[in-house]
This record gives sequence, C-alpha cells and structure tokens, in this order.
Amino acid sequence: MIRVEDVTKQYGKQRAVDALSFQVAPGEILGLIGPNGAGKTTTIRMLCGVVRPDAGQIKVAGLDVQEQGDDVRSRIGVLTETAELYSNLSGLDNLRFFAELYGVDDLGRLDELIDEFGLSVHKDKKAGAYSTGMKKRLGLARALLPRPPLLLLDEPTSGLDPAGIAMVLEEIERLNSQRGVTVVLCSHVLHQLETVCQRYVIIDRGRTVAQGTLPELADMCPGPTVVEVETDYPLEGATYGSVPAKRLPAGRIQFTVSGRDEVPGLIRRLSQDAAVYSVELKGRDLQSVYFRLLEGAGNE
Amino acid sequence: MNRRAVRAITRKDIISIASNIQVWLPMLIIPLIFSVVYPIGLAFVIRAAGNEISGDFGEILDKLEKLPLLSSGSLRRTLDSLVTDQQRAAYLMFNYLMSPFFLMIPLMAASTISVDSFVGEKERGTLEGLLLSPVDMQSMFIAKVLASLVPAVTVSLLSFVLLAVCANAFAWPIFGRLFFPNISWAPLILLVMPAVSLLAVLINVFVSVRVSTFQAGYQMTGFLVLPVVALMIMQFTGLMLLDAKMLLAIGVAIIIVDYALLKIIVGRLDRAQIFESQVR
Repeated sequence: MIRVEDVTKQYGKQRAVDALSFQVAPGEILGLIGPNGAGKTTTIRMLCGVVRPDAGQIKVAGLDVQEQGDDVRSRIGVLTETAELYSNLSGLDNLRFFAELYGVDDLGRLDELIDEFGLSVHKDKKAGAYSTGMKKRLGLARALLPRPPLLLLDEPTSGLDPAGIAMVLEEIERLNSQRGVTVVLCSHVLHQLETVCQRYVIIDRGRTVAQGTLPELADMCPGPTVVEVETDYPLEGATYGSVPAKRLPAGRIQFTVSGRDEVPGLIRRLSQDAAVYSVELKGRDLQSVYFRLLEGAGNE
Repeated sequence: MNRRAVRAITRKDIISIASNIQVWLPMLIIPLIFSVVYPIGLAFVIRAAGNEISGDFGEILDKLEKLPLLSSGSLRRTLDSLVTDQQRAAYLMFNYLMSPFFLMIPLMAASTISVDSFVGEKERGTLEGLLLSPVDMQSMFIAKVLASLVPAVTVSLLSFVLLAVCANAFAWPIFGRLFFPNISWAPLILLVMPAVSLLAVLINVFVSVRVSTFQAGYQMTGFLVLPVVALMIMQFTGLMLLDAKMLLAIGVAIIIVDYALLKIIVGRLDRAQIFESQVR
C-alpha cells in the first residue's frame, strides 16, 4: 500500500527526513514512532503529497504521490494534530463541507459517523465550542468520511478520555479487521500502539532506526536478556550456576542471560532444582524495546 | 475543474463572511459613504447654493465646464440643454465626477474579503485540512476568487441602486425628473466594475497565498487603489473624459489583463510550495 524509498527532506539547513525507507502492506496497521522532531509529521505530509521530498520516491496504492497527488489524497483519510476544523461551522456542517470536497454522496454517512463518535447531541453546535476530545472525535469522523482504504493518524488519542481512547482504538481495529483498511499510526503513547499495531517503524532524526514486528524489534535490541522467574529456589549469592541472579520480593528471582536463546536451558535446569510458577521475559514490551533501540542508535 | 468542490468552498466562505461582522461591516462602510452619505450631502450643497451658483463652488464648476474635453460632444450638449446652474452642477457632479469614485466600492469590498481567503485559513489553522483534501489547486483558487467576487459585485450593484435612488430623490427639487445615471454608467457598472473587482480579487487572493498574516496582505495590496486615484485625478483635471466609449475601452482592457493574470496565477499554484510556506 505504501512504498517509501530513500526519501530525504531538508528545511533550510535542517534535515527533517534522511534517506528514509519503509513499506506498509495492504491491510496492515503500522506504528510510526520516534521522539519529537524525528520526522514523523513530515513523513505523513509527504505521504499525502503536500510536502515535496528533495530526493527519493513515495508511492501510495501504486500511485506516485507527486504526480497523482489528488488521486492519492482521495484514497487517504488523514488526521493531523495541527489541522483545525471550521470553528464557525457546526460539527455537522464541517462534515458536510468535507463530504463535498471528497465527493461523498451518501449523506446518511454523516449521521452514521456523528452517532458512532458520540456527537449526536452536539452536531448542531459550532465546532469552535467543542472540547478538545470532541474536536478530536470530529476530526476522526472527517478522516473516515470517504471510507478511505488508507488511514494516516497522527496522535489520534491525544486529548481523549480513557473511554474515548478505547473507542478510537477499537474503531481502528474494527476498520482493519472488517474492511481491511491499512493504518499508519503515530503516537507517543506506546502501550496504546502495542494493542493495535502489527508492525513498527522507529525513526530518529529522519532516519530509520529499526522496523519489524515487536518480537523482531526485541531481538534486535543490544545487551543482555533479563528473565524474571517466580520460584521457590533458595538463591544464595549473586549467581545461579554461572548465570547472574538477584532475589526480588514475592518469591521472584531475576536472571540475566546473554541472549533469548539461553532462556529455555536456564528454565529447564531451574525446574529440576525447584518449582517454577511463572516466567517473564523483561524488556520486550514496546516501550522498553523502543528506548533500547534508540539508545543503541544514539551510540552509533 | 472540480465544480462540486468549487461550489462547496465558495458557499462555505460566503457563509463565513456573512456570519462575521468584523469582515462585512468594514465592507459596507465605504459603499454607504459613497452611495448614501456623499450623494445626499452633495445634493444639499447644490440645493443650498441656489439657482445662480457663485463663490468657490461656482469657480470650480466654471473651470470644470471649460475643460477642453467638455467643449464638444454629447456631455456638452446635455449640459447646454440644462436650464439652471444647479442642474448643470448636479449633472456634472453625479454623472461625470462620481464614476471614478464609485470604483472604490468594488475595490475596497473585494480587497477586504479576498486578502483573507488563504491567509485567513492559515491563521485559523484550517488551510492544512483544505490542502490535504483531493481538490486540485485550480479549483481551490477559483472557489476563493468567486467567494470574494460574488459579494464584492453584489455590494457594488446594491450600492449603485442606492446611489441612484439617493441622487434622484435628493436632487428631485433641482430636476423634477430622473437624471441619474446617464449612458456612461452602463459600461461602468456592467463591464468596468466586475472587471475591476476581479482584478482586485485575483491580486489579493494571489497575495493571500503568499503572505503570513492578513495584515501583511492588506498592506501589500494597498497599491491597488492607485489606478483609481489616477483616474479620479485625470477626470478632475480634464486629462481624460470617462464617457461610455472610454469606459468600454477601459473595461475591455481590464478584462484582458484579468484573463492573462488568471492564466499566469493558476499556472503557478504549487500545493507543496504553499503548504511548506504556510503550514507549520
């Protein structure tokens, strides 16, 4: 669905995106993550054809973003943090306006989205009087209006309450599983992404740091693997055999092995010596992996 | 061109103008001065001067009547057919001297709205959503031009009707019949006024695409009044007589300029360049 090849974008002396390459398969939910200033927003804008790369090529749905920009934009539902709604128009009129721009003929779609995003009571109020959460929901409704096959969502849950966040994440999953919508999600709330994204691209200073599924990314992390085991083994000292070990509260022991491959052998040995109740590999959640990979990239 | 999008953007912009008193009030002040306050005041001054106009006003009138361009032609014949000084003064002031003044109305009305067209969207943060939509730049530009042109021409036409009503009503004691407008107002209203409005809108919308604030845009397009001021001076000093033929020629010339300008601007609209310079 998306092919970004060796794309570079410079603003004055600052290089916002530097030889960035990644692909997104049709029907995939991809997390595009990185620190502030990493180049995520510029990348989203280049995917929409409103920012022109200095070098490289971007194709969306097989179309060249620069040459066939309007065709590409008609296939994309986009939500950015900076795009405002028309504050002097009602919520419904905002959707009506964008329905015209996107050539949406099914006006029942407007009420459907207004209902879906819990805005029925407020649909005739001016969008300028909406709360941050309501504006975000209306922005999402606008992005979904033309039933796009590709959604580019930049911080879709910021400003939402927990119920709103859950609703948005469920909606993304539903669109993906039921309608095969491809989604690119940018967010700093990594534990939220972990529940919906199938693959990730981590970027920093405009460059790709790593890309892959979460297990793939975790395997790329430099440094030892930490395992926490709930066991009745009576640990004395700081090692178990030759493996560094540390007693933790609540009958847990933390082992540090050089790689993930050593874990099965360690657990086999331990279960011969004592009872093993649970095993947890630490540092393989998205947030830990993200920081370790960024740290590794920063040290290069 | 995406006609559906053009209609939607134009309608949205006109609704925004109508709902924003800060935009439409200044747009109405100049027309009200030119089409109501000025003609009423002028009619009273002429009526107060009496049948034999003398003094400073009389001298001005005398100089105007002796301008070489007024020594012959239909305006001369019309002036000669009038009986009193009051009639000659009213006819000259309303039908002859008023026309370049009147062009200030479409100019000011068009400028107030059109400078806001793109830079206003930028200031309100809505330009990004517009540029991210699948509407081509040509349609977007045409829509913005129409959204300014339609109100500007409407305000100008209404002002003209008001001017005609006020002039004839308050100068009724002088003429006892309708005397305004004469034939030279036909090309002015039907050709020059829309052409001047379009010219002002085109320049203002193009400037609006490039400047960073409404204020900067408004200052940059201030020069647009200069040709109209030049016309006023030429009309007053007798260098040029804005009769029907001259106005027709001016109208056609401006339409040619409008067309050329439209072609040049539409060819230069670059979405990425606009986005990168206007959206943060």
